[in-house]
Amino acid sequence: MKKNFILFKGLFLETLIWSHSALILKKVFYEKFILDIRYLTFNWNEGITCILFGFLAASIVYFIFPKASIGRAVYFKIFRSTEMDFFSRPYFFNGLFHFILTLITSLYISQVSLREFFSREGLQGAQRIFWSLATPNFAIINETIFSAIETIYIAFLATILSIPIAFFLSFFASRNLVKNSLFFRITYSFLRLFLNLSRSVEPLIWAIIFSVWVGIGPFSGMLALWVHSIASLAKLYSEQIEAIDEGLVEAVAATGAHPIQIIWFGVVPQIVIPFMSFTIYRWDINVRMATIIGLVGGGGIGTLLMQYQGMAMWNEVGLLVLVIALIVWFMDFLSSKIREAIK
Amino acid sequence: MLTLNNVNKIFENDVHALKNISFNVEKGAFFVIIGLSGSGKSTLLRCINRSIRPTTGSIIFNGENITNLQGEPLRKIRSQMGMVFQNFNLIPRYSVLKNVLVGTLHRTPLFASIMGNFSKADIDLARYYLNIVGLSGIESQRADSLSGGQKQRVAIARALMQNPSVLLADEPVASLDPSTSHSVMKYLKKINEDLGITIICNLHFLSLVREYGSKVLALKNGEIVYQGLPSEIDQNWFKKIYGEDAKEVEIN
Repeated sequence: MKKNFILFKGLFLETLIWSHSALILKKVFYEKFILDIRYLTFNWNEGITCILFGFLAASIVYFIFPKASIGRAVYFKIFRSTEMDFFSRPYFFNGLFHFILTLITSLYISQVSLREFFSREGLQGAQRIFWSLATPNFAIINETIFSAIETIYIAFLATILSIPIAFFLSFFASRNLVKNSLFFRITYSFLRLFLNLSRSVEPLIWAIIFSVWVGIGPFSGMLALWVHSIASLAKLYSEQIEAIDEGLVEAVAATGAHPIQIIWFGVVPQIVIPFMSFTIYRWDINVRMATIIGLVGGGGIGTLLMQYQGMAMWNEVGLLVLVIALIVWFMDFLSSKIREAIK
Repeated sequence: MLTLNNVNKIFENDVHALKNISFNVEKGAFFVIIGLSGSGKSTLLRCINRSIRPTTGSIIFNGENITNLQGEPLRKIRSQMGMVFQNFNLIPRYSVLKNVLVGTLHRTPLFASIMGNFSKADIDLARYYLNIVGLSGIESQRADSLSGGQKQRVAIARALMQNPSVLLADEPVASLDPSTSHSVMKYLKKINEDLGITIICNLHFLSLVREYGSKVLALKNGEIVYQGLPSEIDQNWFKKIYGEDAKEVEIN
């Protein structure tokens, strides 16, 4: 039963690989490179045909040339060669074949063009924009500094407001603290799911959501960073709680302490310093992200950048880029100094 | 004061850690448990202070069956048992005094303990016990700045703060050098004799057992293989407990 299942898994993998190659051989290599059709279309009949062809090819390799099969090499250790050189491994050439097909396809899809990269007009444009960026226009320095300060404050508030919530949630999101009670284990699973979901939504998307909710401006940017910070900090905090030394917890519990006292004296002293360090690092990240969020109207220096970029005022953009780089460098420096100091 | 009847402990991974353990500890004893690593010594101590629950059997402590206690009644029982550990388990960033005060948590109101408001009487008591273990004058130092022997003595003071009737010691000297080991063991002996606190102690070295123990119990693979006086453990018993190839080493 188990062996048959592995046999099936190997064949499935092999089929997947060959079907993919059959599809790109047909669409890219035949239709594009040989027939040179301008607009490629796709219908599902083609897809199913490719899967059938892929299955046919895979079966031939899998059963007639088992040593060349990737599926077997992955799932059956016995088919893996112990020799050190590639040439004693037929499946290596099988894999290489698919790899090269995929590489060529990705070059085509990305529309890579060395001609455009090195074209005369292109190089002139690059020279122009680099020159403008390198000669920033200091006439707008006041405006720039004020919006940079705005960015730092937005990031600061988002970080500060996320700390208490993340701190509170992190205890319920730590496996080692919830294992003794069914109720808390269920809370744990839901909380983890919720945190992972809200973390997988980029702050940029949150900024768009909140700009509809509370209107475009610094407030929506702050809220976007706040939500994302809660999810990230709660995750980092809870991982730190999971890594604590259980001995101290046991020692405090052995004195007959109340569960809340066990947390306060057994867990909290072990996590305060890493928590502070994570939080400062988070502020650092938030300043950088606030810049990006400004691009969708989240306020601060990012919004300013978007305005000048839209008007193609590259000397002004140059100054903004310079100031952003300085802030990021300074925050990076400051946060590493603080984290070092509180160790 | 402490009686175990047919205690068995089977862990979730089917490891049978304790097999039909029955013994009795009298008040004022210096009761030593010996055995190889993995023989069940630590599991036994953790069953006694009920950080784990025995699978079958019963534990009678001061006339009360504590085998299945939970919540507040269990915390009350645990407050009557002090415990010291091989790794000391102090709060590294807290002062010595505050570490010792952790022993009073069960009688300090929840909110006051979280705010760090310990009673004047407890603070005086903490100073008194620090003096007993020979550590007066270092109460404001951070616990992580101490040496191993000092840390263990702080841990003993912390356990004494509970005003325990029994002190459980899980290999208290296993991570200390020989002379520090003796110093810590002497403090345990002093507490046993001067304060009348019963001591149940896991140990590795037979020479320490002979010097400090009043009763000894030997475990092998979770079973009791010897019970009696330390002086009666001769070469034959030694080989039975530790295996044929073992060789006794002195610690001094």
